[in-house]
Amino acid sequence: MADTPTIVKELHVCMGLNSCKANGYSGTNSCAGMGDCATINHPCHTLNECKGQGGCGLFGTTEEFCFPSQNDCRYQGSCGSPILSSRFVTQGPNKGNSVWQLARQRFEALRAGTNQPVGTPPGGPFGPSNTYVNELRGTTGLDYSSCGQSGSRHCSYLADPAERAMAADARVLVMEITSAAEMKETLSTCPPRVY
Amino acid sequence: MSPKKLFIIPPAVTPANFADAMQQAIALELATIPTYLSTYYSINRAQDQDALYQILVGQLSIIPGILPADIPILAQELKVDILVYANKSAALIMSVAIEEMLHLALSSNVKQAIVQQAPDLLSISKVLNFPTQLDGHEPEFPINTAKLTLNQLSTFLQIESPAPFVFPPDNGLVDMQVVPYQTIGAFYNDIIACVEANYPGPYAPRPQLLPPAPQKARPYYSQNSVNTVYYDRNHNPQFASTDDGQELIGVVDAASAIAAMQEIQHQGEGNIQPDQTRLVFDPVTKMPIPLPVVDGQVHFRPGDYDENGELSHFAKFMEIYSLGGYYQQKFAAIPGLTDFFSYFVINQGPNPTQAVYDASGNEALALCSALGNAIFTYILLMIETCYYQEESTQFAVFMYGIHKSMIWLLSGVGNNINKYNYANGGQTYLGSLTFEYFPFENQLSSPKAQIMDLVNKLALADPKNWGWLTKPQYDNYWPSLPDVGLDHSVVPNVPQIP
Repeated sequence: MADTPTIVKELHVCMGLNSCKANGYSGTNSCAGMGDCATINHPCHTLNECKGQGGCGLFGTTEEFCFPSQNDCRYQGSCGSPILSSRFVTQGPNKGNSVWQLARQRFEALRAGTNQPVGTPPGGPFGPSNTYVNELRGTTGLDYSSCGQSGSRHCSYLADPAERAMAADARVLVMEITSAAEMKETLSTCPPRVY
Repeated sequence: MSPKKLFIIPPAVTPANFADAMQQAIALELATIPTYLSTYYSINRAQDQDALYQILVGQLSIIPGILPADIPILAQELKVDILVYANKSAALIMSVAIEEMLHLALSSNVKQAIVQQAPDLLSISKVLNFPTQLDGHEPEFPINTAKLTLNQLSTFLQIESPAPFVFPPDNGLVDMQVVPYQTIGAFYNDIIACVEANYPGPYAPRPQLLPPAPQKARPYYSQNSVNTVYYDRNHNPQFASTDDGQELIGVVDAASAIAAMQEIQHQGEGNIQPDQTRLVFDPVTKMPIPLPVVDGQVHFRPGDYDENGELSHFAKFMEIYSLGGYYQQKFAAIPGLTDFFSYFVINQGPNPTQAVYDASGNEALALCSALGNAIFTYILLMIETCYYQEESTQFAVFMYGIHKSMIWLLSGVGNNINKYNYANGGQTYLGSLTFEYFPFENQLSSPKAQIMDLVNKLALADPKNWGWLTKPQYDNYWPSLPDVGLDHSVVPNVPQIP
C-alpha cells in the first residue's frame, strides 16, 4: 500500500489564532482567526515544542510577554497553551491585562501586514473561558489555566461555590473590558523585540 | 547542631584581598537563596478553600457560647485570613528570592570584570551546610533552612536589616551600649570604596550575564512571574515587585561596578534613610518588634518605600512578620483553633540532611532529595558556565536550562518531596529539600547523565508519584536540559541552540 501523506494541522496556541481554514482544534473553522481552540498543549515556559507556541503571561520577560505566541524557537515559549481569557500579564507596563487579547492583536497585525483576512473568534472577543475549553474538548472540570503556584485568576473567596463562580466571572470580565479599552496603550508601551 | 561558619568578612577590603572579598560577597548572596526557598516550599499557597472552611467550622462548632449563626461568618473570615496571608507571604518570599538571584549575577559580574575571574559557585556550595551563619556580621546569628514561622522571619529580618541591631541581653534589660557591627550593606560599602580607590577601569571584556541590548543580548531577567503574584481579599491580583528598572548591569568600569553593588544594597536592605523601620528586639520576648497592623494592613513608615513605591527586602519581610504575628494572636484568642501557621505551613523539619533521609530507609525520599540536590548543584554549574560562554550560548544555557530548572525541575521536587515523611530526633516531619552540594565529580559520567540516572531510579522507586518522569511525552522536562560539563563545556543537545 502506498504511503498516504499525513495532513497535519497548523500548530497554534489558542482559539482565534489560527492562520488557515480547518486548522482549529475541531477543524471546522472556515477562515483564519476562527479556530475554536489550540492545536497544541503545553503547561508552561520552556516546555513548548515549536516556534510560535509560547502562550505567554506568567513566566518570562516583558519583551516576551509583549509578543505572545511569536517565539522564534522550540522551548522559547513564555507560557502554556491554551491561553484562557482570564490569563493576565504578570510583568511589565501591562501587568494585569489580558494575554489573549494581545495575542489576537499581534495575530491580526501579522495578517493585515500581508493583506489576509481574519474571521471572528468563535468563543467571543476576549478569549476562551475554562468552561468553553472543557465543553469543546469533552472534558469535565479540568483546569486549562496552566502555570503557577499562586492559584487561579478565575476564582474568589466567597463561601458559596455558586456565588464564588459568579464573582469570578464578573471579576475576569472587568479585566477583559479594561484590557480591551487599554489595548492601544498596551501596544504603545510594549518595548520592541530584542530577539 | 551548631552553626557552621560560611566565611569571614575581612575587616577591610583592599586590593590584596579583593578577589576573596568578591567571592565572599557572592557566597553571601548564594547563602540566602536556599533558606528563602526552603521556607517558600513550606507554604501551601492555594489549598482547597472548601475543605479549609469545613475544618474551621468544625473547630468553631465545639466552642461553648458561640451562636450557630455566627459560625459560618467567622469561619469565612478566618478562611480568607489564612488563604490571603499564605499566598501573600509566599509571593513576597519568592520575589525576594528572585532578586537574590539577580544579586548573585550582579556580584558575579563585578568579580568577572574586575578580578577577571568567573564566580566559583560550586566551591561555595561544597561548604554551604545548614545551619550556617554570616561571619563578620555583628551580631552573629544562625541561618536555617526551615518552614515558615515567626522565628524564621526574624532570621530573614536579621539578614536584610539595613541598620545595625543588637540582641537583647539574657537578663531582659536593653543594653544600650554601642557594639561593633558589620552588616551586608556595610560590607558592600567597603567593596565600593576599594573599587573607587583602586579599580577605575575600563576592564577587559569577559562574558557576563548582561541586560538586553538591541541587536545583541537577549533579555534574561524578569522581576515578576505568576509566582510573585498573590490575590487580595477580593481576589484581585497583586504584584510583589514593581517594574522599577532594576536589572542586570554589565560591569565595564568603576561606575558600572558601583552601580551594580548599589543596586544590591538598594533592593536588599534599602538605603538607610530617615523615618525608616529599624530592627529592634523586644527585651522580653526576644523577638523583633512588629509594625502596627490596622484592619489587616501593615502601617509602614515613609522611609520604608523607595522612590518607585517598592518595599525593600527588609520591609517585605517585616510586612510578613507583622501580619503573621497579628493573625497568630487573632487565632490564639479564639478557643478551639490551632496555631495560625498550622493551617497552611507544611511540617518540615529544620535543617534536614541527605544523610538523615538515607538513614530513614525511605528510598523514594532519599532519591527525591538527591535529585533536588543534583538539580540545585546543576543550576549553580550552569550559572558558572554562563561566565565561560559567549552570549548566544549563555542564552541557551540560561533560558532553557536555568529557567526550566528553577520553575519546573527544582520546584517540582521541592513541592512534592513533602509526600514522604521521616523521623528525626523523636519527631516526625515531612520531607523537604536539603540544598546540599551534589558531588558530580565522584562519578565518571556527565552531570546530566547522573541527573537522568536519579530520575530513572526515582520513577522506579515511586512509580505512582514519579512514573511520569520517564514517559516520552514529558521529554521536554528533564531530558531536554542542556548537557553542561564540570569543565563548563556545553554540549549542543536538546534543544539546539537557535
